[in-house]
Amino acid sequence: MNDDYLWDKTGEPDPQVQELEEILGSLRYQPKPLQIPNELRLPQRRNYFPWVAIAAGVSLAILAGGIWLSTRSHGDAPQRQAEVTPPAPVKEVTPSAPKTPERKNESPEEVVAVHKHRPRASVPVLSKREREEALMAKEQVMLALRLTTEKLSLVHKKTQNTNPANQIKNQHRVG
Amino acid sequence: MYATADMLLTSPAPAAPEQSHETAIEVVLVKAVLEGDRDGFTRLYDLYAPLVHGILLARVPRAEVDDLVQDIFLHAFKKLHTLRESSSFGPWIAMIARNRAVDFYRRSRETVEINDELRGSNTQDSRATEILELIRNLPEAYRETLVLRLVEGMTGPEIAARTGLTAASVRVNLHRGMKLLREQLGFMEGL
Repeated sequence: MNDDYLWDKTGEPDPQVQELEEILGSLRYQPKPLQIPNELRLPQRRNYFPWVAIAAGVSLAILAGGIWLSTRSHGDAPQRQAEVTPPAPVKEVTPSAPKTPERKNESPEEVVAVHKHRPRASVPVLSKREREEALMAKEQVMLALRLTTEKLSLVHKKTQNTNPANQIKNQHRVG
Repeated sequence: MYATADMLLTSPAPAAPEQSHETAIEVVLVKAVLEGDRDGFTRLYDLYAPLVHGILLARVPRAEVDDLVQDIFLHAFKKLHTLRESSSFGPWIAMIARNRAVDFYRRSRETVEINDELRGSNTQDSRATEILELIRNLPEAYRETLVLRLVEGMTGPEIAARTGLTAASVRVNLHRGMKLLREQLGFMEGL
């Protein structure tokens, strides 16, 4: 005997199932109207989308700003190198120059000054304003790094402390 | 004599066309209710009250079922905004009904006299309550499916669609539950 009738009331009717349906049918649900009190109000589904969108936008803006600052500080270096003024003509005693008796008359301060003012080609010359900007950018990057470090350590702590039982299990497995 | 569980699992019944139609209706109704249409909830109540009634009848005293059905739908009305997927209204309210049945026994463990309340007024009713009591003594997986099929008159595919169970599970539960019930009733001996 297959149970198609029991399953979806198709096929050959099963007399035993039919008898049970007839007897138990007296207990079937009798429709009654649902009384919803008037004072009962349906809470509206909360829509978090605008807040999530705003938070995501702000996060993206901060991230983009950080990236822009870091790339700007890196990208400026070669430009500055290019902007470096060629070494100013200075009085320099060439080694090939014959030693004249007049050279003996040069004061030691004068010689030192000549060597002191020789600019290095690899070191950019920054104005005061540029230096301040660079320092600010550096501070921001350092702050971002500090925050990231803090968050990472927090996550590390949380992952270590969440479920000690699992940890023991894992250690047991590994060991 | 009977199809085995494996046979039943390998030959799932084709999905009834009214299942998807019903799901579409409940999605529309849930959306309408969330937008403030109270009548939409009355329609949901009409559709799902037999399911909730059957679930409760398989668990709590008959005299308590009607009041609990009302309570469950009022609770569902208040909490409808927490339903994530509108198409899952059936499984959601079925779960509320099961939890409410558990709560019922937790709250009134010492005060309910089930056997007394189950007594029917006439012979037919008395026979029905006796069989219902036998069904209630079956394993939990079978009793709800059997009540929905034999008392509420739902088909297997309807039970699957409304409770969220797979068709194969419902079919197996019906088959095994019916086999146990026949044994209990003595149908195997031709009684």
